[in-house]
Amino acid sequence: MSAYGLFLVSGLAVGALYALGGVGLVVLNRATGFLNFAHGAIGAMGAMTAWQMAAWAMPEPVVWGAAIGIGALLSLLFGRFVAPGLAHREPVVKAVATLGFAIALLGVMNLLWVTTPRRLSFTLDGLFITLGGIRITGTRMLAFGGGLAVVAGVTILLVTTRVGLMMRSLADNRPVAALLGTPVLRVETLAWGLSGALAGFTGLMFGGLVQLDPTLLTFMVIPVIAAAIVARLSSISVTFAAGLLIGVTESMLALYPPLAPFRSAAPFAVAIIALMWLQRGRRLTFAGED
Amino acid sequence: MSAPAPAPAMSASRPTPQLRWQSALPVVAIAAVAFVVPALASSLWLKVLTSVAIYALAVASIALLYRRLGLVSLAQIALMGFGGWVTLRLSYAWGMPFEVNMLAGGVLTACVGIVLAYPALRMRGLYLALVTLMAAGGFSILVNVIQFPNGGPGFTGFIVQSVGSMPRPALGQSDGAFFSYCVIVVALGFLLIHLHERGSPGRAWAFIRRSEAAAMSAGVNVTFYKIWGFALSGFLAGIAGGLLAGNLQHLDARSFPAAESVMLFALTIVGGAWGWLGAVIAAVLYRLLPAFLNDIGVSGNVAYIIFGVALMHAMATAPRGLAGQIEGAWKAIRNRGQS
Repeated sequence: MSAYGLFLVSGLAVGALYALGGVGLVVLNRATGFLNFAHGAIGAMGAMTAWQMAAWAMPEPVVWGAAIGIGALLSLLFGRFVAPGLAHREPVVKAVATLGFAIALLGVMNLLWVTTPRRLSFTLDGLFITLGGIRITGTRMLAFGGGLAVVAGVTILLVTTRVGLMMRSLADNRPVAALLGTPVLRVETLAWGLSGALAGFTGLMFGGLVQLDPTLLTFMVIPVIAAAIVARLSSISVTFAAGLLIGVTESMLALYPPLAPFRSAAPFAVAIIALMWLQRGRRLTFAGED
Repeated sequence: MSAPAPAPAMSASRPTPQLRWQSALPVVAIAAVAFVVPALASSLWLKVLTSVAIYALAVASIALLYRRLGLVSLAQIALMGFGGWVTLRLSYAWGMPFEVNMLAGGVLTACVGIVLAYPALRMRGLYLALVTLMAAGGFSILVNVIQFPNGGPGFTGFIVQSVGSMPRPALGQSDGAFFSYCVIVVALGFLLIHLHERGSPGRAWAFIRRSEAAAMSAGVNVTFYKIWGFALSGFLAGIAGGLLAGNLQHLDARSFPAAESVMLFALTIVGGAWGWLGAVIAAVLYRLLPAFLNDIGVSGNVAYIIFGVALMHAMATAPRGLAGQIEGAWKAIRNRGQS
């Protein structure tokens, strides 16, 4: 029981991170039509900045603020200077352009922080509660709780506020929304900033809970995309559930020896099955919306 | 190489003998590259240039899908890995000649390509790209568990401590000879693409790219030609994987992560997906530029920054890539010379 509980808890924590990342991707994709491959790189940049701040013995709130701030800033830079030029291209082109941003950021990070094993530790790591004989650290609880809070917050934002309404209208039909007077640039800028801040937070948590390595964090976006795909890049709550499912599956497979070595493939397997299931019964697609 | 040379419009006005001379040009150029370079390059650079040739074929297989069917494949390095695995496996199993193993690797990789084509029949654009990305992610984990064959027992053919290395082809034993071998095989691969584009598959692909609905109503078998495109692309990637296995004589599972497939696609766009020149440029950027930067004492990470910025630039302003810009400049110079 204890082993199951232990893996369940660690799976839920990592799953919450996949979910958080996925929610950031979905928010951005809904408002701007960009699938952001640089989400992981932005988060990694936030986490590395946080590590640097901690190495300079800054107080912890500054460390956290730096990660989230850098995330928002980088995302805004791309959203304000590169993204508008691509606004009318097809989704693949947009996604590939963000890939360029990811690769450039990765180069900058590897240049600034030479690869050595690093650790990111928070005060919360020392705090824990014991639940049914299982110790749960504060960081894991924060990852899970933060995930829930973000899902709730983003859902409220999208459903009840005027900005949320504008974001949804842009997601539904960009030309019509723009024609009706939606301030496209302002709404998009907000989406980029919000998504970047989420990326910063997610990167920080990944850095603390999994491993602090720029390359690893940058390409953590691939399993995160898997969680977002299950929700067809549009539903916040489904993304969250998919993230948790993927995290728990990946973690629990460690207890089943024949499949244990393959457990990191869980995100890809879940995503492919979900995609095929969502596309069932569809025949050839003709040009148009994907 | 079998270039879609700046030929058609100009050759019409030229006399026949010159046309013959022009069509012999690619063959001469390939022969020159294949046999002169090994004599000039040091052994270190020869290894780098061999991998440039090999990756040019992989890039060409990505570019083919992108340019002809508008499909984004983010799994090409994984397909190369698969082709390399089959080549190594067969080589250790039966000790057949390298060519047989490589072709078998290509054919089996083409089968994998056909499996990837299945989602492509229902999806397109971003979702298809994501399916291939997920497949690449799955492959990298799979291959890290089962490893590449190195002469061990059993189906996986892997043993922890082994000094086994796969024999190279009879015609390419030395590094220099293997470079020539690779250049010729890669040129044949380019020729295969060229023949397809000139023939009925090329016309069908062009029609599909323009409008699937119109192609279908005109009687083009859309399903068949899409699958055919994926099979051809997979075959070429598999051959490239076989060549890579031959170059290093063994393969390391860690060098086939999904991230590399993504990177190679990015460079395909930067180089230009519309012709053989773009494929060569992309491969040069992928393999030669980092080695060159390393040689002059600049961190390889600078290459990443350059790639990233170049990719954003290419997506925003230069859809035909560097090759398109070079060809445009060349055309402008020629036009000035003629007028």
